[in-house]
Amino acid sequence: MRYSPTLVEHFLNPRNAGLMRDPDGTGVDEFDGCGDLARIFIRVRDGRAAEVRFQSYGCGPTIAAASVASELVAGRVVEDLVNLKADEVESALDGLPDDRKHAAEVVAGAVRAAALDALRRRSA
Amino acid sequence: MSRRVYLDHNASTPVHPDVVAEMLPYFGQVYGNPSSVHGFGREAREAVDAARDRVAAFLRARPDEIVFTSGGTESDNFGVKGLAWARGRGHIITSKIEHHAVLRTCQTLEAQGFGVTYLPVDGTGMIDPDDVRRALRPDTIAISIMHANSEVGSIQPVRAIGAIARERGVPFHVDAVQTFGKVNIDVDAFNIDLLSFSGHKIYGPKGVAGLYIRKGTKMVSVQHGGEHERRRRAGTENVPGIVGLGKAVEVRGRDMKEEAVRLTALRDRLWEGIRARVPEVRLNGHPTERVPGTANICYRNVESESIVLGLDLKGIAVSAGSACTSGSVEPSYVLVAMGVPLDWAMGAVRSSLGRSTTAEDVDYVVESVEPIVRKLRAALPVGAA
Repeated sequence: MRYSPTLVEHFLNPRNAGLMRDPDGTGVDEFDGCGDLARIFIRVRDGRAAEVRFQSYGCGPTIAAASVASELVAGRVVEDLVNLKADEVESALDGLPDDRKHAAEVVAGAVRAAALDALRRRSA
Repeated sequence: MSRRVYLDHNASTPVHPDVVAEMLPYFGQVYGNPSSVHGFGREAREAVDAARDRVAAFLRARPDEIVFTSGGTESDNFGVKGLAWARGRGHIITSKIEHHAVLRTCQTLEAQGFGVTYLPVDGTGMIDPDDVRRALRPDTIAISIMHANSEVGSIQPVRAIGAIARERGVPFHVDAVQTFGKVNIDVDAFNIDLLSFSGHKIYGPKGVAGLYIRKGTKMVSVQHGGEHERRRRAGTENVPGIVGLGKAVEVRGRDMKEEAVRLTALRDRLWEGIRARVPEVRLNGHPTERVPGTANICYRNVESESIVLGLDLKGIAVSAGSACTSGSVEPSYVLVAMGVPLDWAMGAVRSSLGRSTTAEDVDYVVESVEPIVRKLRAALPVGAA
């Protein structure tokens, strides 16, 4: 198996999959040319991501990356999530093959977009 | 050990034990070069000729019309380039759903100044023989049409196309890699002038294949060197491989008809089982004129690679119709040519059954695929794909 046990486990049992009603922030990212897509929803309490959910379309690593990211960022300060790096998502999956790095990138992009959206709404 | 189910026989097959047994002496005991005149060489030559006789009998051809090659890709290159280069210029008719070994060869010939017509297929993946007739030009020098496509398995009307080719005196090449040893092929009855076939799709070894060349067909070689294979294909013969191919053909001659009936029933059981349990699925390819063990099924709005991964984790080997490589994902060009919409084509999964496949295997796959697809769809963004 070319994927880590952590990735496989998240692929088989995705956490926090599905729509969130009335989120405080929503972000989408799509990988150019590939079509893999991740959408992240966050609910904010006291400046932190109190609840995170995701929807995704794509190969197994993208689904697993979205799942692991939903746990990784829960409880963290929203302002910090604006700078979330793909490397951190990849590390949480215990690595990705070179031709699947985009899974972490698209999910990190969606988290950053959701965090920005939440900050924008708060200041609006 | 957990259960393992191999449903990727269109990609490759396990070597039949009888084939292995027949090959073994040719790795150690009989090792001469078939081109050598001494006794060691003559032993190897006799083995190669015996295999040639078996293949020829299977195709109802003459032994001197069989040339052994290294694989289906080489056979296709040899067939199409050999016809084209022997004529120097002109027009070739092929189809949009050929294997890349033919498609990219034709594209290469286009770059060299040859004209190529890529025929369309209908929604079941079938070529209309009337389209072949309409595409013919005074300068048409070759027709190359596959017998069946590896992805969807639709069996082309090669008999009707062969009749047109013969009527117009145009050489007819058939890529039969996916049908050789699975369905009946008669090169005379079908008016086939060249036919590519391979060993590892029929429980023979990898690295050995062949090209049937009807006697009198004007051809040039594409590989130059020694005077092997009656000066048509240079290179020392792969003696163990050729022996294995010959034995595999003999076994297929014995088992083919019975297995076709069994695999047709199993592939239909697979489709019926999945259709009954999973919503929004479709079967690709011709409903009846199809290679016995092939079932290509689309799962709408799900990416095929994630289904393949899910099944792989259950010990099941199938093949994805679309592939996500670094930065690009393309639906199958075969399904696109058949007019399958993108939201379906991206979720194509091919199962190809074989001699070891049982009804229990099929039922295990049916039970396994439903929760995988359900979970993937549960995480889908609305309106994605």
